[in-house]
Amino acid sequence: MAAAPTKASQQLARQLFALSLVNGLVAPAQVEGVLAYLEKHPPAQPLQVLQAYRRLVARELAKGEIVVEHAGPIGEGILRGLEGAFTQKYKRQVTARGVHNASLIAGLRLRIGDDVYEASIANQLAQLSAA
Amino acid sequence: MSTVLEQIEQQIAKLSNKAVKKNTGTIRSVADGVAKIDGLSDVMYNEMVQFPGGATGLALNLETDEVGCVILGDTSQLKEGDEVFTTGKLLSVPVGKGLLGRAVDALGNPVDGKGPIEVKEYYPVERIAPGIIARKSVDQPLFTGIMAIDSMIPIGRGQRELIIGDRGTGKTTIAIDTIINQAKINKVGLASGDSSFRPVYSIYVAIGQKNSNIVRTISALEAAGALDYTIIVTAPAADNPANQYLAPYSGAAIGEWFMENGMDALIVYDDLSKHAVAYRQISLILKRPSGREAYPGDVFYLHSRLLERSARLDGKGSLTALPIIETLAGDVSAYIPTNVISITDGQIFLETDLFNQGIRPAVSVGLSVSRVGSAAQVKATKQVGGKLKGELAQFRELAAFAQFGSDLDAKTKAQLDRGSRIVELFKQPQFNPLPIELQVAVLFAMQQEFFNDVAVGDIVAASASLKDFLTTRKEALLTEIRTKAKLDDALEAALKAAIQEWKASYATAAGGAAAAAR
Repeated sequence: MAAAPTKASQQLARQLFALSLVNGLVAPAQVEGVLAYLEKHPPAQPLQVLQAYRRLVARELAKGEIVVEHAGPIGEGILRGLEGAFTQKYKRQVTARGVHNASLIAGLRLRIGDDVYEASIANQLAQLSAA
Repeated sequence: MSTVLEQIEQQIAKLSNKAVKKNTGTIRSVADGVAKIDGLSDVMYNEMVQFPGGATGLALNLETDEVGCVILGDTSQLKEGDEVFTTGKLLSVPVGKGLLGRAVDALGNPVDGKGPIEVKEYYPVERIAPGIIARKSVDQPLFTGIMAIDSMIPIGRGQRELIIGDRGTGKTTIAIDTIINQAKINKVGLASGDSSFRPVYSIYVAIGQKNSNIVRTISALEAAGALDYTIIVTAPAADNPANQYLAPYSGAAIGEWFMENGMDALIVYDDLSKHAVAYRQISLILKRPSGREAYPGDVFYLHSRLLERSARLDGKGSLTALPIIETLAGDVSAYIPTNVISITDGQIFLETDLFNQGIRPAVSVGLSVSRVGSAAQVKATKQVGGKLKGELAQFRELAAFAQFGSDLDAKTKAQLDRGSRIVELFKQPQFNPLPIELQVAVLFAMQQEFFNDVAVGDIVAASASLKDFLTTRKEALLTEIRTKAKLDDALEAALKAAIQEWKASYATAAGGAAAAAR
């Protein structure tokens, strides 16, 4: 198990993450630049810095993508509709990606960043059994 | 009408296909009852967080990259990567009269094996204390049943009186005696049918104590018939520090329900030293900056916000607090004791030396004080015990000087003699609180010098004999003292006559016993 990241590693990861953004969005070219810099100038805790950096980038990328879990078929139109609605709601450009999940039984589960929107039968059944 | 509509709307909501939004996070690490969580970007401070397996957590540290949560419940099933989500609710506990006679944990779940508790209301564990406008000054007495306290360090309804002393000096006993006395008063008051009578309900919060001690306390309350008016909140030593940290706040929330609903309640925090230690443990694990004695910077606020919730509210009820603090080697100037002393409205200081000398309760008159003072005393007690504190303080001073010389003048000897009699008179066995009318009668006998010719060693027996005589043969007189709450000329004469009657019989009995011994 890797040692816990120090405050300095976390701070460096945050600084590198800030450098990876262009207009508030993660830019692949910037990320490549950051990685190249880290390879050339390895920090004191390279693994911890990279892990913290990865977490920050992954969290930011998750904010720009809706993962649409569905049990039945889902059309391209629905995904584009969701993109439009969530772009307006979160005031940033988001893209939608469908993932088949039979355990939902029916309905959808949307995940964007930390937020989860549950509209599945499996969730309703779970709520009924908990009540 | 609106209730019917609400019911229909609830039914519609159940069947509605509307999406439910949850804010989620993933566990990054779990250690020592604290979880570090990635995500939870919408979580509020002190919000309940739902963990897998039914465990709940409390969000205490909101940082840039992670959230620190204390977990209330079993942590053994939790692992890295588990998903958690916010509930949008602040931690709440069940409140109401349904809890009376029950023992619950820090979250209000029953732990006494007597089945589920019927409750309709929940109060948040953390609440802002009542402001200055809502408060009323403390001027109604709360009798502890302990003569030394009721006569010299009176406690009022809505007051915060600290009980402080080393381990094994009788701190918990004073608290338990007070609870038992409330139950006794409640029984008499409710049986009298007096509509103006206000019962006092008690809440005993056990923090970081051994389970065997808690069981002993519950048994003592049950044996004295006080459990029906008492709620026990337990967070024993085996419980996780998060529960020990929360228990006093849960108890306060339960007490606030009584206060808000026009009733009077008494809450005992046993003890806040262990509470501070539990909070220090949580804070250190959460990596909060530590200060003096490794306590976090907000350890004063930890206790001030708790004790400020005890108050007497205008037009409503009251919540009286008896926090307990354990000192080390009698050091009242340590960090946590000085904090709590400065927050409370007085303290009852118990001395190890007095306890070892057999003076029980071992109340140190010089160091104990009630900042509410005689405002919370009935007139009868003021009449018979107004000068006692001064007399005893003078006695202690003289006794210290008397050790250096044998030649004492008559006045000093008389003062020493009287002081040692008062000390003997205040000795009281545990779990045996005295009704206020009996306290008044005994102190009246002392004031009128009825004990002057009784040997110091026989004072305890003589006072027990007087109490017995008055209880069995002068019940009407005692009832009159209780209802009038002051000694007028007629009552004083009647009491004097009764004590003279006792004195005659006591002198005969004592003389007979002495002759038999010869």
